[in-house]
Amino acid sequence: MHWLNWLIVAVYITYIVWDGLRRAKGTDELEGYFLARRSLPWWVVGLSVMATQLSAITLVGTTGQGASDGMRFIQFYFGLPIAMLILSVTLVPFLYRAKVYTAYEYLERRFNPGTRAFTAFLFLLSRGMSAGVIISAPAVILASIFGWSVSASVALIGVPTVLYTMIGGVQAVAWADVKQMVLIVAGLFAIVVAIVLGFPNDVGLGDALAVAGSTGRLRTFDFRFDLTETYTFWSGLIGGTFLMMSYFGTDQSQVQRHLTADSVDAARSSLLMSAYWKIPLQALVLMIGVLVFVYYLFTPPPLLFNPAHAGQVQQAEPATYATLESRYTDVHEQRRAAASAAAAARDGGDPAAARAALGRFRATNIELEAVRMEALALAEGVTGEAPRDVNYIIPTFVLQELPIGLTGIFIAAVLAAAMSSIAAELNALSTATVIDFYKRWIRRDAPESHFLRVSKIATGFWGLFACAIATYAVAIGSLIEVVNRFGSFFYGSILGVFLLAMIRSANGIGAFIGLIAGMATVAAVSIFAPDISFLWHNVIGAVAVVVVGTLLSAATGGRPGVAAGATAESAAG
Amino acid sequence: MINDTSGTDAGRSRPRSKRIAVRVMIVQTIALLLLWLLQARYGS
Repeated sequence: MHWLNWLIVAVYITYIVWDGLRRAKGTDELEGYFLARRSLPWWVVGLSVMATQLSAITLVGTTGQGASDGMRFIQFYFGLPIAMLILSVTLVPFLYRAKVYTAYEYLERRFNPGTRAFTAFLFLLSRGMSAGVIISAPAVILASIFGWSVSASVALIGVPTVLYTMIGGVQAVAWADVKQMVLIVAGLFAIVVAIVLGFPNDVGLGDALAVAGSTGRLRTFDFRFDLTETYTFWSGLIGGTFLMMSYFGTDQSQVQRHLTADSVDAARSSLLMSAYWKIPLQALVLMIGVLVFVYYLFTPPPLLFNPAHAGQVQQAEPATYATLESRYTDVHEQRRAAASAAAAARDGGDPAAARAALGRFRATNIELEAVRMEALALAEGVTGEAPRDVNYIIPTFVLQELPIGLTGIFIAAVLAAAMSSIAAELNALSTATVIDFYKRWIRRDAPESHFLRVSKIATGFWGLFACAIATYAVAIGSLIEVVNRFGSFFYGSILGVFLLAMIRSANGIGAFIGLIAGMATVAAVSIFAPDISFLWHNVIGAVAVVVVGTLLSAATGGRPGVAAGATAESAAG
Repeated sequence: MINDTSGTDAGRSRPRSKRIAVRVMIVQTIALLLLWLLQARYGS
């Protein structure tokens, strides 16, 4: 990579760390360190919410998914605006007015210490692991494309993030998120402009969309009601609503964002900002992938995008690889000619000729994809790893095709996306460790300075833990889905407990046993009906908790000693 | 319950979040419509 690109990356990292450290001034007490003294304006919290959710996996994996599979992944987010609207009138005011540090703290007030400890433990377990995955995903890719060791990439992402999160607390995390979000969006727009300018002169945006559309990449909506399909309109709308409600409403890494807002209305507005921008932003991310696919119709792409795998296959099977590469070059040339002819026919004004030209293009595209499948199977055989080549499409494009400067901005944006998600996770993991365990069970009374010191140590510990997981968790499955799959096991059930908290008659026994029943149900479904998409696990888990919890509460005498309708008031403190 | 009016801009009686919520519904409907039009026009 050109030195100017490295300079941009270095300036970004230095600035983010310096800015984070400088914000440590206002964090001399727990409320400042964990909640920024509940003083942040809605737009800062809103950008922080978005930056936390948008990880490097989104920038690298989802764009790659757009290139290989098209726009249909966006259906995954159809439930997000609905979830945000529901949360902004239900859980957000409850949690904000309860003046809690963690979402799980509220569960002790409403139910019992056991339910709080169990949900907080599940959070630490799942988020501790997923923080490692969030670092590992971009680290593996950076290691492969730059030829570094994975541990060096992990250190590049992990060390600065741990430093500013540990010293600056949530204040540093939130303000860094704002800058990181701006950098990410700027990087995305820059790449769109660069791609479109890179098309041949006689291929316009309309031609590009028509050619991409003929391969099915612009087919966004799938209205089939099929529980085994992950990306359909209904799984996105229903399963997605439950997943997003659980993530934004009960996961401490997100709840902590809106607890830092300066009012309930600001907390609500910050969530609604995501509801406003998530689908358009995700459409942009996927569209970049689609446009990169079109770009590579006219510029020869590598047979394997993962350079490490390509090198290993070339060494182990030189003759087979050379034959495949030669066939790939020939078929690519045919596809390029067919794509140009399809674009020209489209401009010719004869619909029948345009359709026929697109048909010829489609046939060559299928042929090319068949050659690539052979190469991917060969790579899997040689390396013994799933190729996950899709995650290397965008990094390869960025490094080989973007002009100097833009490459640096995009790499900095990938680091920003990774750092913003990890920082929020570390911050939340530290909060739950200190507030839900240390301060609750080990040492209730101590000077503020003691808890602050323990909080910083906890942040550092979780940072080290995440870096260790990232270094050793190379074979972690599809980068895009692994985080969501892991969370889905607990997510729906934890949401169920919070939904149960809004039912007046529900009691602690119902909540605790209901939570276990919900998780057991999800486990049973994933074992006995493995084809059911993970998005539905959230619905199943939440419903199981509410049903079992309500019945058990009724069977054990309901909620004694509390008047009907007391839930909201008790939460309001 | 806390009577929270801090999100209300001067001269406006409705809280900011309510205004954003209405816009969210409008913008998302338009976004889905545009995606559907993109599919109808190009997604063969």
